Amino acid sequence: MTTYEAFNRPQRFLRLRQFSGKAVSILVTLVGLLLLTFTMGRLLPADPVLAVTGSEVDKATYERVYNELGLGEPIWRQFASYIGRMLTGDMGQSLTTGRPVAQDLLTVFPATIELALVAMLCGTLIGVPLGIVAAVNRGKLIDHIARIVGLAGHSIPIFWLGLMALFVFYAKLRWVGASGRIDILNEGLVPPITGLMLLDTALQGEWDVFRDALSHIILPGAILGYYSVAYISRMTRSFMLEQLGQEYIISARAKGVSRRQMIWSHAFKNIRVQLLTVIALTFGGLLDGAVLIETVFGWPGLGQYLTRGLKMNDMNVVMGAVLLIGIVFLTINIISDKLYRILDPRTR
Amino acid sequence: MRYRLLAGLAAVALITGAGGAFAASPPNALVIGTNLGAIPALDPAAINARTVSEVVSNLYDNLVMVNPDDLTTIRPMLAEKWTISDDKRTITMTLRKDATFASGNPVTAEDAAWTIQRVIKMGAVGSTDIALWGFTKDNVDSLVTATDPQTLVIKLPEPVSTDLVLYSLAGASLGIIDKKTALANEKNGDLAQNWLKSNSAGSGPFKLTQWRPNDILLTDARADYWGGAPAMKRVVMRHVPESGNMRLQLDAGDIDVGQYMASGDIEALEAKGATIDPGPGLGFYYIAMNTQDPDLAKPKVREAFQHILDWKPLAATTMKYNGFPWQSIIPKGMAGAPTTEPTGHEYDPEKAKKLLAEAGYPNGLKKTLYPSSDALLKMAVALQDSARKAGVEFEIVPGEHTPDFRARKFQVLVGNSGTRLPDPFGTLVQYAYNPDNRDEAKLGGYYLWRTALEAPELLKLVDESKAETDPEKRKAIFQQVDKGYQALPPSLIITLQRTDPYVIKKGVTGYVGHPTWSTRWFDVKKN
Repeated sequence: MTTYEAFNRPQRFLRLRQFSGKAVSILVTLVGLLLLTFTMGRLLPADPVLAVTGSEVDKATYERVYNELGLGEPIWRQFASYIGRMLTGDMGQSLTTGRPVAQDLLTVFPATIELALVAMLCGTLIGVPLGIVAAVNRGKLIDHIARIVGLAGHSIPIFWLGLMALFVFYAKLRWVGASGRIDILNEGLVPPITGLMLLDTALQGEWDVFRDALSHIILPGAILGYYSVAYISRMTRSFMLEQLGQEYIISARAKGVSRRQMIWSHAFKNIRVQLLTVIALTFGGLLDGAVLIETVFGWPGLGQYLTRGLKMNDMNVVMGAVLLIGIVFLTINIISDKLYRILDPRTR
Repeated sequence: MRYRLLAGLAAVALITGAGGAFAASPPNALVIGTNLGAIPALDPAAINARTVSEVVSNLYDNLVMVNPDDLTTIRPMLAEKWTISDDKRTITMTLRKDATFASGNPVTAEDAAWTIQRVIKMGAVGSTDIALWGFTKDNVDSLVTATDPQTLVIKLPEPVSTDLVLYSLAGASLGIIDKKTALANEKNGDLAQNWLKSNSAGSGPFKLTQWRPNDILLTDARADYWGGAPAMKRVVMRHVPESGNMRLQLDAGDIDVGQYMASGDIEALEAKGATIDPGPGLGFYYIAMNTQDPDLAKPKVREAFQHILDWKPLAATTMKYNGFPWQSIIPKGMAGAPTTEPTGHEYDPEKAKKLLAEAGYPNGLKKTLYPSSDALLKMAVALQDSARKAGVEFEIVPGEHTPDFRARKFQVLVGNSGTRLPDPFGTLVQYAYNPDNRDEAKLGGYYLWRTALEAPELLKLVDESKAETDPEKRKAIFQQVDKGYQALPPSLIITLQRTDPYVIKKGVTGYVGHPTWSTRWFDVKKN
C-alpha cells in the first residue's frame, strides 16, 4: 500500500502538471491569437460603421453608430471588454448579418465541416493509393502520370476547375446541384440535428433529401479533395520510398513475402503514423482554405463568412471565426497526438 | 479491401446519378439568383441598400407608390386617396379598409403613424430621405397622427414640396409595419428592432418564411392579399455570388432572374434569348477630385481631367450593362434633365495636356487613384490607361475606399452613387450641396463636401427647390443648378448614368427592376 502510494503520488502530480501546463499553453495561444487579430483589425483602413449604415449615411446616424460600436474607446479597452464579454459566452453581434456571432457560427461551421470531411475523404482515397502506386513504380511511366495528376489538382485554379465541373456535371449531364447545400424544393423539409446535412437526412430516413444533399456536396467536395491530392500523394510517395529502401523490406522479399504483402502489411503499416499527421493538417487547411470553392458553389460556409467579415471590418465575426479555427487546429493536434500513441507503440 | 472500396464508390455514384432528375424552377415559383451578403436586417427602418429594398418592398406595402416605368406619377397603395391643404403644409390620407397584415390584423392609420414615427425615432439609415423634410424625434409625434382608424394626418415642419414627401413615403424604408405584432415582440423599448431584423410584419403580398444570411430567403404568397393573390405562390432568393455559376443556372432554367452578373455572362445569355432589363438607376459613375489637394484645387486642372478618361470603349464593353453615357447631375428623363445626350467630357488627351500646361503643369501630373470598391477597379484601370496619354500618371491602390472618400482622405477616386428618391432633388443634394465645408462638419453624406468644394450659389438653389411646388419653376431651378455645376468646374466628373441589369429567363414576364429598388413581384408570371 505504502509503496504503491509513494510510487503513484508523484506520477499523478506529474500528470496534473502536464495537463495544467498544456491547458495554460492552449489558453495563451488562443488569447495571443485573438490579440493579434484584434490589433490587425483595428489597423485596417476599412470602416466598420459603413458596414452597418451603407455609404450614403448622414452625420448624425454615423456618429450614433460609431459610439454604439464603442469605436471611440482606446484599443486596449475595446479588447479588454471584448474578452470580458467572451468569457460570459457572448461573442457579440455580426454587423453584416445582424445576428449573434455564436448563432452564425453554428450555421456556417457544420456546412464547412461537412464539406471538409467529404473533401478529406476524397483526397485520402485518391491521394494515398496514388502515392503508393507511384512509389512502387518509381521512375516508370505510371509514376510520372501520378505526379502530373496530383500536380494538376494543385496548380489548376480551383475556381476554374469548379466552373468547368459545373458545366459538365450540372449543365450538361444534370447529375448534380449547382449551388447551396440543398435544392430549394427540399428547403426546410428536414429539421437540423447536427447541422451536417448528410447525417441529418440519413438519421431521419429522408433518403430523397439525402440524395439531393449528396448531389450538392459531391462536386465541391471532390474538387476540394482533388486540390489536396497533390500534397497527400507526394508525401505518401516519399514516405513509402523511405520504407521500401529499408533492409527489413529487402530481407522480407528475400524470405519470399509476396509483393502485395510487402507493400500493405509491411511498408504501409509503418507510414500510417506519418500519414495521419499529413491528413490531419490537410483537414485543418481545408476548413479555412475553401473560400474560392465556397464562392463558386454558393456554399454557405465559414470561409465566405470570415472573408466577408474581414472585408467589411466586421471584427466580432473575424475574432469569432479565428478563435473557432484556432480551437479546431489545437483539437486536431491533440487528437493526432493521441492517435500517434495508439498506432505507434514506441511513443507510449 | 480495395474491391469493397470500389463497390462503395460505385454505390455513391449510383445514388447521385439516380437523384439527377432536377426539376427546373417550378411554374408557380420565382427563383432569383442574387447576392445575399451584407444584409444586416430586414427591418424597413434599418435598410437602404438595393437587394434588401426589393425584399422589403414585397413584404410590406407603402402608403403610396410609383411605378418603375413612370416615376412622376404618385399612385395610391394603402392610402386610397389624399388631399393637400391650401397652405400646402398638411397631407391628409384616407386608408383603404380591406387591407390586412399577414397576422390578420387590419391595416389602420394608427399603424401608419407609428411606422413613420418609428423611422424618425430610430434614426437609422432608413430615415435618410424622410428626415430631410425637418421631422425630428421631438416633433414627429405631434406632426404625424391618426385621427381615426382610416385617416392619417401629416403636418410638415417646414415648407417642402409635398411631392417630395410623398416620394419618400413610397420608399422601401417606409413600408407600413403591423404595430400590434411588432410591439408584442418589443424588448426593453427597442421598438421591436431586434425582432424585425429577421421577421416580417407587413401587409404586402408575400410573407417571410425563411431567412438565412448569405444563403437563402424564402417568401410565400398571401392568398388573402387585398390586391388579390399573386401568381407566384413562392419567391426564393438564393445567394449565388459567382456570376459564371449563375449563368449556368439561368441557362438550365433553375434560376429565373439573375442579379449582379458580369457583362460577359449577360451578353451570352442575351444571345440565347434571355431578356435583359437594363435597370436604370438614379445615380452616376464619377471621377472625384479632392480640392484640398493644391493641384486639384486649380479649376484648369479639373477642367483638364474632364478629358482624360476614354469612357466610350468602357461603356461599350466591360461596363456595357452597368451604365450609359450621361454627363448631367439630373438623371435622364427627369424634370430639368437635358433632352439630348449632354456632351463636353469627351476623351481628348491633347486638350487635357494643353489645359494642364496652362495650369502650370507642362510635364503632367502624378496622383494616387482609389477605386471606391473592388467593383470599380475596372474603371480605375481604364482611367489609368487613358490618362497616361494626357500626361497624368495614376498609381492605383485597390481596396474598399469609400471610408477614405467620406473622410476626405484621397486624391482622386472613381466611384458610383445611387439614391432612392425619384426626384432630381435626390441627386442634386448629393452632388451640388455643401452647407458647411469645414473638416469638423463631417458631412460625409454629401459628395460635394467629400471633395471639399464650396458652391454657395448652388446651395441656395437646391434649398429653394426643396420648398418650390410649382413644377415649371422647379424645373427651371434644376436646370440652373445643372448649368452652375458644370461651370464650377465640378470636382465630380460624371460620364455614365448607373444601371443595374437584371437577366430574366425566357417566359418570365412582369419582373421590372425599379430605379428606386422597390422592385415588386406581384405581377410576375411564368409561361
